Amino acid sequence: MSLFPAVGRKDFRLRVSWFALQAFLWFGVFMHLVPFYIMMVTSITPADEAMSMPPKLWPSHPTLAAWNLVFRISDVAKSVLSQPLSRYFLNSLIMTFGTMFLSIPVTSLAAYASSKLIKGRVAKPLFIFFVGTLMLPGIVSLIPSFLLTRNFPFPLPVAPNIPGTDIPFPTLRIWNTYWAVILPAGFSAGNFLLFKGYFDSIPDSIINAARVDGGSEFNIFRRIILPMSIPVYAVVAYFEFGGAWESYLWPLVVIQDSKIAPLTLAIRRISDAFVATGTTNPQSALGAFAQMADLIAQGLSWNGLMVLGLLQALPVFIFFIIAREYLLKGVKIQGLK
Amino acid sequence: MTVSTDSMVQTSPAPPLADVSPRRRWTNWLFVLPAILFQFFWGWYPMVVAIFLSLTNAPIRGQVTFRGFENYLRLSADPLVPMAFRVTLLYGFLSIALTFFIPILVAILLMEMPPKTMRIMMILWYLPLSGIASTLFWQYLYNEQFGIFQWIATAVLGLPRQAFLSSERWVLFWLIVPGILMYGPGLYYIAGLQSIPKSYYEAAEIEGAGFWRKIWTISLPRLRPIISMTLLFSIIGTLQEFTWIDLMTRGGPNGASRTVVMYMFTLLDNGRYGDATALAVMLFALIMFLVLIYRATFKSDLDV
Repeated sequence: MSLFPAVGRKDFRLRVSWFALQAFLWFGVFMHLVPFYIMMVTSITPADEAMSMPPKLWPSHPTLAAWNLVFRISDVAKSVLSQPLSRYFLNSLIMTFGTMFLSIPVTSLAAYASSKLIKGRVAKPLFIFFVGTLMLPGIVSLIPSFLLTRNFPFPLPVAPNIPGTDIPFPTLRIWNTYWAVILPAGFSAGNFLLFKGYFDSIPDSIINAARVDGGSEFNIFRRIILPMSIPVYAVVAYFEFGGAWESYLWPLVVIQDSKIAPLTLAIRRISDAFVATGTTNPQSALGAFAQMADLIAQGLSWNGLMVLGLLQALPVFIFFIIAREYLLKGVKIQGLK
Repeated sequence: MTVSTDSMVQTSPAPPLADVSPRRRWTNWLFVLPAILFQFFWGWYPMVVAIFLSLTNAPIRGQVTFRGFENYLRLSADPLVPMAFRVTLLYGFLSIALTFFIPILVAILLMEMPPKTMRIMMILWYLPLSGIASTLFWQYLYNEQFGIFQWIATAVLGLPRQAFLSSERWVLFWLIVPGILMYGPGLYYIAGLQSIPKSYYEAAEIEGAGFWRKIWTISLPRLRPIISMTLLFSIIGTLQEFTWIDLMTRGGPNGASRTVVMYMFTLLDNGRYGDATALAVMLFALIMFLVLIYRATFKSDLDV
């Protein structure tokens, strides 16, 4: 309460503007809750009613038909999705947790070392090596990275031959496997900055005291630093989870087999059938239209899409509720405790 | 966002002790070694390779041969390329002009709330709706036949039927509208604002400064370093937009919302790896050019 004057709060004009300010903020909060409500209501609306005007606040005959249909989606809409929904869900979970379990230790250990262990002339270049990619548009490495997943370590469509022979170099192929999503995310420059910022704020004296007691550097990290750093780990884990769970372009490039496709790609397939605006040639528009008619005939319309959306949103939502305290504490800064 | 160590006691610098400085051992490097490998192979290496790859034919089969600027010449003859760049720049500009400053203002205003209200608001505000799920939601709202927006336009406002996402002229605008409607406070700014001492505002008040004056002379200048940072990342980010537009429109109608990255994905999908990489390098050059102009303008603020 620093912008409004401390005295004269009963003044009429001040009261009006105070009220307007509250209304503005609460309206923003309200707007963020609207999607949850509309999605939930639509998901229990009968298929034809979900596609009618005017929109209703509550369905005339609430039904769980869409929820049932979506869980049997590979039976009712084989032309759109070949795998049961649980398969895509599981794939997303594997990729997300795989990324977290690889990236968080790798990134935090590096951040700790460059904050507390590696000093001197190498410290600055090392720091730039770690965070420099953050300042560059990462899209430029999309295609070389994609080719790397096919012929590691050669970022080429076909591995070159060993000089003087006709035999190509042996390469590692992780394309179209879970690893193609997990391994490239092994280090995160953004999370590195978060970790380093936190570790920097831990006084050196704590670590020095442990050194006097004779702990090895790794034990100091594990026994002393790690327990102190739960808040930053919670924040990073939340970001990492959200990011990996929603990753879209990269899986689109490296995952082809629908048996291992994440939920985001499944949603793309379904929404393909419902969104015809983007289809540039009439043929694919017709194809999309036929698929859509097919789905609607099975009783799956926008109510089913909303079910999918809710299922996609659920894990991140749960994670937020669990880590809520840490996340809000994360922004609490000295002065307002 | 700054993660604070508020539970810790901030002590004054400890008196130097004998031989407890970080021991310079090679084992220290074990902490960073995995990260170095990952950052090298999936960070810097593909980025540098992109420039070389864009100068080759990069065929799906057969040997890679050096082709000079052939890919770039072919792209410059492709009418879809300048179109994609126009869409990208327009989208980036509109998106930043219309949505970037709102979270700053909302964060400043949120500071006026009593702590309890602020806490409730923040929890509700940050209840996450995954980005993919929200594209489904907005597609539903934008539906031309039965969407809520169409209902508002025709039944409530009495306008003729609107095309929304299938209007070539307005599609970019409609893609940005959700960002305006879903306004909220930026997390980074909240952290920055909380570190401004109250006494600044009190002193300003004694000097007779009003509501907006305090924002203009205290809040905004104190947020300046954070703003210049987030603005830079917004510029880099929006010019590489893919997910949101791809799911909303697939680049349509008639390519009116096809950004450079989306066209690049199309080229990649068609196996034209060399062309796709060349297009990516062109976008890279454009973004870096804008970033350099930006950094020259806001030189004093950036420490990274």
